[in-house]
Amino acid sequence: MSPLRVAAVFRRIVAQFRRDPRSLALLFVAPLAIIALLGWVLGSQGAMAARVAVVNDSTGPGAGAVVTRLESALEGQAGITIDRSVANDSTARQMLKDKKLDLVVVLPADFSLQSRKIDLLTLGINPSGEYAALPAVQKALLSAVADSSAGAALPTIGRATVYGSPNATQLDSLAPVVVGFFAYFFVFILTGISFLRERIGGTLERLLATPVSRAEIVLGYSLGFGFFATLQVAIVLAFVLGRLDIPALGPVPAFAIGLGVHTAGNPLISYLLVLVLGLGAVSLGIFLSTFARTELQILQFIPIVIVPQGLLSGFFWPIEGLPNLLQPVARILPVTYAIDGLRQVMIAGADLSSPQVLLDLGVLTGIAAVFVVLAAATIRREVA
Amino acid sequence: MILAPTPPPATPPPATPPPAVEAPALHKDFGAIHAVDGIDMSLPPGRIYGLLGPNGSGKTTLIRLLMGLASATSGTAKVLGVEMPSRANLARIGYMTQSDGIYPELSVWENLTFFAALYGQTDKAQLHAALELVELDTRANTPAQKLSGGMRRRLSMACALAHHPTVIFLDEPTVGVDPALRVQFWDHFHRLAADGATLLVSSHVMDEADRCDELLFIREGHVLAQGTSVELRRRAGTDNIETAFLRFATDPAPGTGTDATPSPTAQPTKAAR
Repeated sequence: MSPLRVAAVFRRIVAQFRRDPRSLALLFVAPLAIIALLGWVLGSQGAMAARVAVVNDSTGPGAGAVVTRLESALEGQAGITIDRSVANDSTARQMLKDKKLDLVVVLPADFSLQSRKIDLLTLGINPSGEYAALPAVQKALLSAVADSSAGAALPTIGRATVYGSPNATQLDSLAPVVVGFFAYFFVFILTGISFLRERIGGTLERLLATPVSRAEIVLGYSLGFGFFATLQVAIVLAFVLGRLDIPALGPVPAFAIGLGVHTAGNPLISYLLVLVLGLGAVSLGIFLSTFARTELQILQFIPIVIVPQGLLSGFFWPIEGLPNLLQPVARILPVTYAIDGLRQVMIAGADLSSPQVLLDLGVLTGIAAVFVVLAAATIRREVA
Repeated sequence: MILAPTPPPATPPPATPPPAVEAPALHKDFGAIHAVDGIDMSLPPGRIYGLLGPNGSGKTTLIRLLMGLASATSGTAKVLGVEMPSRANLARIGYMTQSDGIYPELSVWENLTFFAALYGQTDKAQLHAALELVELDTRANTPAQKLSGGMRRRLSMACALAHHPTVIFLDEPTVGVDPALRVQFWDHFHRLAADGATLLVSSHVMDEADRCDELLFIREGHVLAQGTSVELRRRAGTDNIETAFLRFATDPAPGTGTDATPSPTAQPTKAAR
């Protein structure tokens, strides 16, 4: 192992990237743009106003009073506008179709104060979005029904969590995930394509004609891309964790740079986790470039390598909720361990004394080591 | 400044120097194709050998076997007495690939210093001399992708020679290089050989044959004939090297057989540029 040769490979990769503004943009601007967009989209989800109507199909005693109470209770909820003009079920259905209503509360014909069954009606095209107003409606329902029956208010429910805040938004739990996922995705794509270009551009043939060893090439690549992955993670973490509020100035309205997500733990440990993940991605890119003949074929690895990690690694859904057959698959994916570690650190405030963080780091290191061996073994002397 | 090969070790020279390149009974198959089909070669040092043959005759595969970049189906390749592949031995070998094999985003200087560093060559004066030789010293900071095809070829050559190799494989080095510079290239090759380097230059351009000390006609993976240009033409009974090649291609011992005319199926070599 010659440090001089490793340094030469490292310097070359840095020089190549400096000359390639588009790849630099992919590394540094694209993740920020996507995360900013994500923050913007998720941030506005709670503010969506739902148009709600209450329809009474019941002739039972007390139903009318329930409707009145419901309507006034709903009126007091943030993010809900109430439409009192809707007379019956069929009008309500038509108004849902015409997108004049978002949600209809129906007191069915058999409604009584004894069987307090109430139906919620939505269009059904995008159920999760349509039920965004559900918590507010439920809250109003509870108080209205309770008041009308016994005259006594039900206890209100408060929430508490061991870690973080019970008011944590979707963004707070997704932030650690996107940091890890982007590092993996972009580093993999860039290394894969860079190394493929070595193969098809004839420079790998030339490299192998020099005394440089395969291990020196993989190490030089890891250092080079590790350097850029480090910068990327620093910038992405700063953007996710930091927040700079810019006041309004003339025609420019006030805005904020950065998401300001609260991190409970040490950002340096988050950093370490993503770095080890990224080093694995470098070697995976080198390894998989063996199986590609064109740059397009590198992109064909996205559905095989990247998308399953997005679906199975705990990005959106907890791994415990996955089908039994898929759980072992999730447990071999590097992003799974990065996301778990990042959540432990950023939300639960774990540090390097936490066995779970150490396990995550250990597994990530092991996976990276396997990819390094695979990468070095497939930089063949004989290039197809 | 002239790029001189590294001086040989200070051992007394044997009566007959050992061959710089040796390949007894070398075979390389790609499936059913015999790319190198039993080549025997033993090349004494300090000379320029021309590897002449049409496209697809096995020239590049032979060089890759000698470099240890491909593994032989049978037989071994030895360079400077060391069996290939040998990573340590590669430090004494220069290889100019058929494709330029340079990094388009990097400047001329960055390409040269990168490859030189892999060989442990970091002497800036020597590297500047290498650039001067290929007349790219004024283009040191130009990105390789902005060079003309001929300039890229020249850069590729500088990258192959900057570490002063003792054995040099040049795969079609003069393609796309203008005639004036081509003459300079060959003058330089001769200086390198005079200093003790062994050069194996592949070409399908027959007019370069006369510039080599010795020629190897190669076709369909085997050597048709080996000798000086004068010798081979005399044996084939012609003044034209191309005709000589075609006669050897149809008859392994022209002049002794009856039919010395090239058959219509013989693959013609490309016209000289």
